[in-house]
Amino acid sequence: MRTWAFLLGGLVIWAVHFFTLYIMASVFLTPPLARTLTMLITLACLGAIAFLAFKARRIEIETATDSWVRAVALLGMGVGGVAIVWQALPALLV
Amino acid sequence: MTSGSIFAVFDPAGPYAGSITTLAWVLIAMFVAVLAVVIAALWIALRGSGRLKARLGGTRAIWIGGIGFPVVVLTALLVYGLTLTRHLTAPMPQDAMRVRITGEMWWWRVAYLDPSGRPFMLDANELHIPAGRPVLLELESNDVIHSFWVPRLSGKLDMVPGRRNTLPIQADGPGVFAGQCAEYCGGPHALMGFVVIAHEPAAFDRMMAARRAPRPVPDERGRQLFRSTGCAACHRIAGTEANGMAGPDLTHVGSRRSLGAGILPNNRGTLAGWIGDSQAIKPGNRMPPYKTLSAADLQALAAYLEARK
Amino acid sequence: MKSETGFDPALYARFPTPGERPEGELEELERIWCAPRGWQLLTAVNNNYIGFFYVAAAFLFFLLAGILALVMRVQLALPLQGVLPQDTYNQFFTMHGTVMMFLFAVPMVEAIGVLLLPQMLAARDLPFPRLSAYAFWAYFVGGLCFFTSLFFGLAPDGGWFMYPPYTSITYSPGINADFWLLGIGFIEISAIAGAIEIVVGVLRTRAPGMTLDKMPIYAWAMLVFGVMIIIAFPSVILGTLLLELERAFNWPFFDPTRGGDALLWQHLFWFFGHPEVYIIFLPASGLVSMMVATMTRTPLVGHYLIVLAFLATGFISFGVWAHHMFTTGMPNLSIGFFSAASMAVSVPAGIQVFSWIATFAVGKPRYNVPTLFLLGGIVTFVIGGLTGVMVAMVPFDWQAHDSYFIVAHLHHVLIGGMVFPMFAAFYYWTPMTSSRALSEQLGKWAFWLMFTGMQVTFWPMHLVGLMGMPRRVYTYLPGREWEVINMISTVGAFTLAAGVLAFLIDVARNFRFTTDSDAGNVYGGGTLEWLPTGLYSTRSIPVVKSREPLWDDPKLAEDVEAGRYFLPGSATGLRETIITSPLRAEPQYLQIMPGPSAWPFLGAVFTAGFFILLTVQAYIPSFACGILAVICVLRWLWDTDRLVKEPDVDVGAGIRLPTYVTGPDSHGWWAMMILLIVVGMIFVMGVFSFFYLYGVQPRFWVAPADLWSLAMVLPAYGAASGLAWLARYMLAREATELWTPGVLFLCGAIALATGIGADLWSWIASGLRPDASGQGATVYALLGLEAMLAAIGLLMAGYISARNSRGMIVRPHNNSLDLCVLWVIYTAGQGALTAVLTRAVGG
Repeated sequence: MRTWAFLLGGLVIWAVHFFTLYIMASVFLTPPLARTLTMLITLACLGAIAFLAFKARRIEIETATDSWVRAVALLGMGVGGVAIVWQALPALLV
Repeated sequence: MTSGSIFAVFDPAGPYAGSITTLAWVLIAMFVAVLAVVIAALWIALRGSGRLKARLGGTRAIWIGGIGFPVVVLTALLVYGLTLTRHLTAPMPQDAMRVRITGEMWWWRVAYLDPSGRPFMLDANELHIPAGRPVLLELESNDVIHSFWVPRLSGKLDMVPGRRNTLPIQADGPGVFAGQCAEYCGGPHALMGFVVIAHEPAAFDRMMAARRAPRPVPDERGRQLFRSTGCAACHRIAGTEANGMAGPDLTHVGSRRSLGAGILPNNRGTLAGWIGDSQAIKPGNRMPPYKTLSAADLQALAAYLEARK
Repeated sequence: MKSETGFDPALYARFPTPGERPEGELEELERIWCAPRGWQLLTAVNNNYIGFFYVAAAFLFFLLAGILALVMRVQLALPLQGVLPQDTYNQFFTMHGTVMMFLFAVPMVEAIGVLLLPQMLAARDLPFPRLSAYAFWAYFVGGLCFFTSLFFGLAPDGGWFMYPPYTSITYSPGINADFWLLGIGFIEISAIAGAIEIVVGVLRTRAPGMTLDKMPIYAWAMLVFGVMIIIAFPSVILGTLLLELERAFNWPFFDPTRGGDALLWQHLFWFFGHPEVYIIFLPASGLVSMMVATMTRTPLVGHYLIVLAFLATGFISFGVWAHHMFTTGMPNLSIGFFSAASMAVSVPAGIQVFSWIATFAVGKPRYNVPTLFLLGGIVTFVIGGLTGVMVAMVPFDWQAHDSYFIVAHLHHVLIGGMVFPMFAAFYYWTPMTSSRALSEQLGKWAFWLMFTGMQVTFWPMHLVGLMGMPRRVYTYLPGREWEVINMISTVGAFTLAAGVLAFLIDVARNFRFTTDSDAGNVYGGGTLEWLPTGLYSTRSIPVVKSREPLWDDPKLAEDVEAGRYFLPGSATGLRETIITSPLRAEPQYLQIMPGPSAWPFLGAVFTAGFFILLTVQAYIPSFACGILAVICVLRWLWDTDRLVKEPDVDVGAGIRLPTYVTGPDSHGWWAMMILLIVVGMIFVMGVFSFFYLYGVQPRFWVAPADLWSLAMVLPAYGAASGLAWLARYMLAREATELWTPGVLFLCGAIALATGIGADLWSWIASGLRPDASGQGATVYALLGLEAMLAAIGLLMAGYISARNSRGMIVRPHNNSLDLCVLWVIYTAGQGALTAVLTRAVGG
């Protein structure tokens, strides 16, 4: 389970971010509040990804599988991070 | 009946469509450029020199071509798209002209609204607007989902039962702009057209004033027939006892450019043909055929309707 | 070395084992795995047969839906044609879309998975062969009946997206729409059954040593595919259920005049509908990645990047559903989120395309038919992907949406992303299952005709769409310059069809199905499906040390064939395969597999019968079929979950594995957990509908049922899960009486029924009726869902009691009991949540 959570961490955080924003935008229909919350949630999620990436540096590598998992996980955090930033753009621009 | 450019999206007639056309050209340029890059890369991979192939064959190429390049291009596009979305949906001035258009199976109910939001003039399948001024459309539906789309004036917007969507449109100059229902709504969805006519503001004001002026007294035979054959059960003609609301309002039917929701030119012949057997022209529409009417009656009815300007 | 399960990877060094295998071992293997003949073939469950039938059936639907498209193109070639009357055209385009998506694309990728995966993972078969057989037959029988509705004018005409209110009983009074709702209903069930099979297969039946990083890229694609089906399909299952409830019982989920909302359907449908595109594309992308590597004779460049691309697609594609709804008037902020996610989802696609290009650059491509289809597919897919980015831009979509531009876009994506790769795969893998390869010459004809036809058909549609031509029109008026463009498209469509015809001729001339004397590895692939195989798959199950074992160990095929690896014969005299651990594929235990049986086939026929007869409103025969289907399924399950006399056996080189494992390590436990996720997703979408309608139409809501009634409901659910857990706990104890577990479980199931009964009663007492409002409809739908689960719990209690009475529930742990306990505990949890959440909001 730990391995899966690590492997998919970045993408899971993206999913949490996305659905939180979606629910929030549906509940708080007033734009200013939604905008502020979007920013806060985005920063929190980016922070979580940074934390995960930092932990990834110190993970124990014994086999080729371990380093492979780490490479995929880090890439997932990268893609997740970019997607999270994009996800926040509507709150700034729309 | 509907004139104007055939290139719809590529030939915008107003600011709302115009900015989307600019966006479309940017996107087409992006499309061509990226496709060229991909095909060039494929070509090099298959037929290129050893040196070029070596550069392309590795994870670095994927990082640059598959991740870096798309992220840059997409970020730029996203910012552009979102900014444009905001501009296109910016609130309208309070005094803008408002018209409520209601989707029906398979025609359009048009109601011009006064500043308090109450309808003061009913029409169907055609919309007259003043050129150079923004007009706010309130889009609604009474049955299923339809979608309002006049490509030269703006993007499309759905008409969802139970909801009211608003769509700004504007034509820069006088002209006739064709549209069509864009959300599948069953039966003759394909034959659910719409026409927007933009006038010079002065001409528009004159036309509206003329329409609101007292109606001339209609000829008795046509009016009689209109009632006795049952037309009045579904159709309204202001100033007469005909006040059915199920079908299109016919108060100004004589001034329309088209019949059957934008599918036939409007003249006495087509009017008579439509009344006699509209099912042959637009199968599935809600108007029953009147094949038992004599040719003379049909002509009289058509003449009567033709005079409803 | 690090281990996941306590298995010592050093033991792998014992393989290949020296010396000859004993006489008669191979013959016994062949005898155990031999397939029934003649009519008995209907009872076959082996993946070689089921996979092949499945592919053939899916291809048949491809041809049928393709013919519909040709007729439509004739109708549209000129304005105001009368080839197809309006109603028929509307049925044709609905069926074209529905059949292509539900009866061709998803089943086809699943079918290829059933055929290829066990071979590629060197498993003897997929972990639940009878489930595969059931899924296939339900799909095939039901799909044929569904298609036949077209000949009676009863085919649905609401579009493949079936938007209400057009599809509500008011505007679609005939049974046409019901055909869609019920017909698609069980095809979804069949897809989910297949997905469970594939997920458990990929995670638990890989060859020993095939760690996550050594998994063939196709297996990764299928893993993500399976998980996506499990998350996405429940949404449309719930949607179809709600719409059918509205049609049949007047529960107003989608009726705005009574507190429903038409857009709720669109959310439910597209939450499935967009991931669906990737569900179709990912497996095809996996196939492309496998073939590109072989055709260039070099390992895939950026393997880990592609794996990440699959995973990222799997996630992000669940954030794009509303880009089908940009024109519905959603708030700008929400639209922006979906636009951003739609951008993000194209990054993984870019990774895949450039990985393939890089692989071509490294290797020496061979220009045979599969390569041509691959290249044609890549170019076509890129075009579709780029127009996809265009329509992800909200303002542009306001123009392009529901116009022929979208028709062009989606066909480029699906034909380039799935159909061309599928033809490449047909040419590439035919030698694995046919005694002759397909013809290079005819194949080139097929490719060039299809490729040219495809481009000629769909390029002009971009233009005509932007010239204002909407989709789903049965005709158009002359005088708008659409004629020439449409005529070109029609010519293109027939060219495309000629290509498919060339392929059919090739198949007729060269394809000869076989399970043991296939043409072999003609393209020189490096993965395990190219090992010599029989119906038992490979003679022995190799230890995997790299991603392309056949390239890295030239002796592997010979050693495997000579039985020098795991499981060279049958250890127990039954069908069996090795279950390995999910991350590092360490051998865990020997799974005893069921053999041929008529019950899955009969169960499938009755399931299809239940739904089809329900559609034509033959209620009594329909319910009879339903009961028979349940009996068939129980009967097939009855044979499973048995102990063999040897508690552990030698699976080769003196390595001993247990033959019966229970608890979280067992493959049955995994399948049940996945099934519960499916049920859970249905529940989540139900809860979403509930809160969504509250958000949209709060003025229709009334006070919920009394809170004090929870004092009755919640303890009942608590008792249910406690009793179920106690049944499992007591079974493990030495001193327990034979009947104790069964009785405890039965009490648990009864407590479950009490819980839902009490909850229902309190809602009825509150005066709210299901047809009163969106609130009533969603509340009773959630209660109904819970009641259904509880009813299944009671059925399980009967099944457990029957097995208990036959002494088949054996100490200390028993899989049948475990899985039923899981079900009851889950159901109790969902029931408690239902009770609390439905009372959370109200007027």
